[in-house]
Amino acid sequence: MAEEHNKNSVRPVAEKGEHIIARHLIDDDAIKEEKNLVIDGVDVSGRWNTFIETRVDSEYDRSFFDEIQKTVVGSRINRCWQCGMCTASCTVTPLYRRFNPRSFIYMMQLGNLKQLKKYVDVAWRCVGCYKCSQRCPKQVNPAEMMEALALLIKKYFPEEIKSKHQLIIDEEVKKIYEGMILGHGRLDLANLHTSAMRKMGKTSELLSDKDERGAIFKMMKDGRALSVLRLGKPHKWHKSKDAIDKYLQNTGTLEQESQV
Amino acid sequence: MAENILVIGGGPAGLHAAIELAELGVNVSLVERDTFLGGNPKKFKYKYLFPDLQPADDVIGELIRRAESNGNIKKYLSANVESFKEEGKKFNAVIKSDSGSETKTFDSVIVATGFEHFDPAKDSKYSYQLFDDVIDIKDLERMMGEENFNRPSNGKPPKNVAIILCVGSRDRHVGNQYCSRVCCTVSVKQAIEIREHFPQTEVYIFYMDIRTYGFYEDLYWKAMEEHDVQIVKGRVAEITSGPDNTVICKGEDTLLRGPFEIPFDMVVLASGMEGGPQSPEMANKLGIELDEHGFLKYANVTLSPCKSNKDGIFLAGACTGPKAIADAIIEGGAAAMNAYIYAKKNS
Repeated sequence: MAEEHNKNSVRPVAEKGEHIIARHLIDDDAIKEEKNLVIDGVDVSGRWNTFIETRVDSEYDRSFFDEIQKTVVGSRINRCWQCGMCTASCTVTPLYRRFNPRSFIYMMQLGNLKQLKKYVDVAWRCVGCYKCSQRCPKQVNPAEMMEALALLIKKYFPEEIKSKHQLIIDEEVKKIYEGMILGHGRLDLANLHTSAMRKMGKTSELLSDKDERGAIFKMMKDGRALSVLRLGKPHKWHKSKDAIDKYLQNTGTLEQESQV
Repeated sequence: MAENILVIGGGPAGLHAAIELAELGVNVSLVERDTFLGGNPKKFKYKYLFPDLQPADDVIGELIRRAESNGNIKKYLSANVESFKEEGKKFNAVIKSDSGSETKTFDSVIVATGFEHFDPAKDSKYSYQLFDDVIDIKDLERMMGEENFNRPSNGKPPKNVAIILCVGSRDRHVGNQYCSRVCCTVSVKQAIEIREHFPQTEVYIFYMDIRTYGFYEDLYWKAMEEHDVQIVKGRVAEITSGPDNTVICKGEDTLLRGPFEIPFDMVVLASGMEGGPQSPEMANKLGIELDEHGFLKYANVTLSPCKSNKDGIFLAGACTGPKAIADAIIEGGAAAMNAYIYAKKNS
């Protein structure tokens, strides 16, 4: 009888940190818990070895700042004083509140990768409208800072990008990118985004995701979608085009060695 | 007959007032409590002045030289006004110095008793005097002046420095609600000096607001854009000892909405300005008003700056509130004109 009772009441493996009060306040990553752990012959499996990592920032990593500052797109990182004009003027923020250029720049300044990691899913959402760069009182060029951010995320969290968000940057997308640059002299991020989704066979996601759908309708309604289509070519584009073609003849590729 | 005017205080404002009056032919009596002229800038050996990083000696030293070489200025060092009495439109004062007491009659008086650096030891959260590597704005100024920018604890150059703004200012807890006006600019200037001379040292400024008003803003921009000084938004609530002989600044990053506890090799407290210790005494003796912040009070801040509530007694410099050296000098000149007009009318 006793044996049978034991057999039936085998404790199910607990969910990670499920016994923590106010569990919703703590990020998954911050909870350290080994399912099976023996220390000095004592079995401390399960809740006994639960640790919550400190949420206090205890280091400023300046090497990170230096790394960004050396890139072309991130060279003005030292200018930002966090007034929030970029976020205030941002096209994306009203749709994705978690996309906040101001705070991303700050995290980059302080080398706070721990915080940045939380935003991998939205950090690449800049549509390249450059309103922020036009309004920035310190000429930080936040729009390009977002490119620095994307490069950085690609470098530091490749797994995160692949496993969680399936953002596969493949040869096809690169072709679309080069086609835009060479054909029009301008990068149309909204176009790149939709084309990339199409190539990856995820067109349906554009309309199935509520936020995404909302964004598209809103941009169509207020005319931004149209203005994106009418971007046109830069002034005296043919001259630049000739130079690029010449460059391509010599090197065969547009790609630079990755700086970040 | 030449007018007699009493100037109390030999700092930038008092010196400039005395020089201007002496050049008008007035007999000036300049009373200074210290053994030297030049006030706090001289006492704490300020090295460079903002905004142009002009050597302090070019300004303060120049004022002292002019005052000393002018025969119309009678200087009383280690002196104070022992007693003071009005007589009609004139004033009788007893000036006590090392060489004894002297009674004189004056046509008007300029009070320029200056300010005092806030003593951060009064606010225990900053652990000033507890840790060697926690210094304040005037300590750093002196260290720069002596070309000895090293950690007091071990004599080595610091790898990183935290500058904490609003120490002893804008803090009801310590009793000072006002903004000390110049600490932001001085701190930004010091950050530039550190980065210029010691590029290996990282500098972080913890701020609630950065108030580098007017063209001083240029200095703030320069610190960020040319010297990579990093500003972090949040006031530091506690300084504790950290690993490897560091001091930890504990606070909240209000932009990230999260706590931080960052170890630093050195912490500089941007302590503010308080009313000069002589101000209450002078207010009492001369019968002029002190404001709620411990500074001397203008009769009318817009219409008649430099005037106290008492006819014939004028105010100049940091005794009326925190201000930059340049502003104190301007006020010295303005007070000199006011005092001269009053003396002229009544003599």
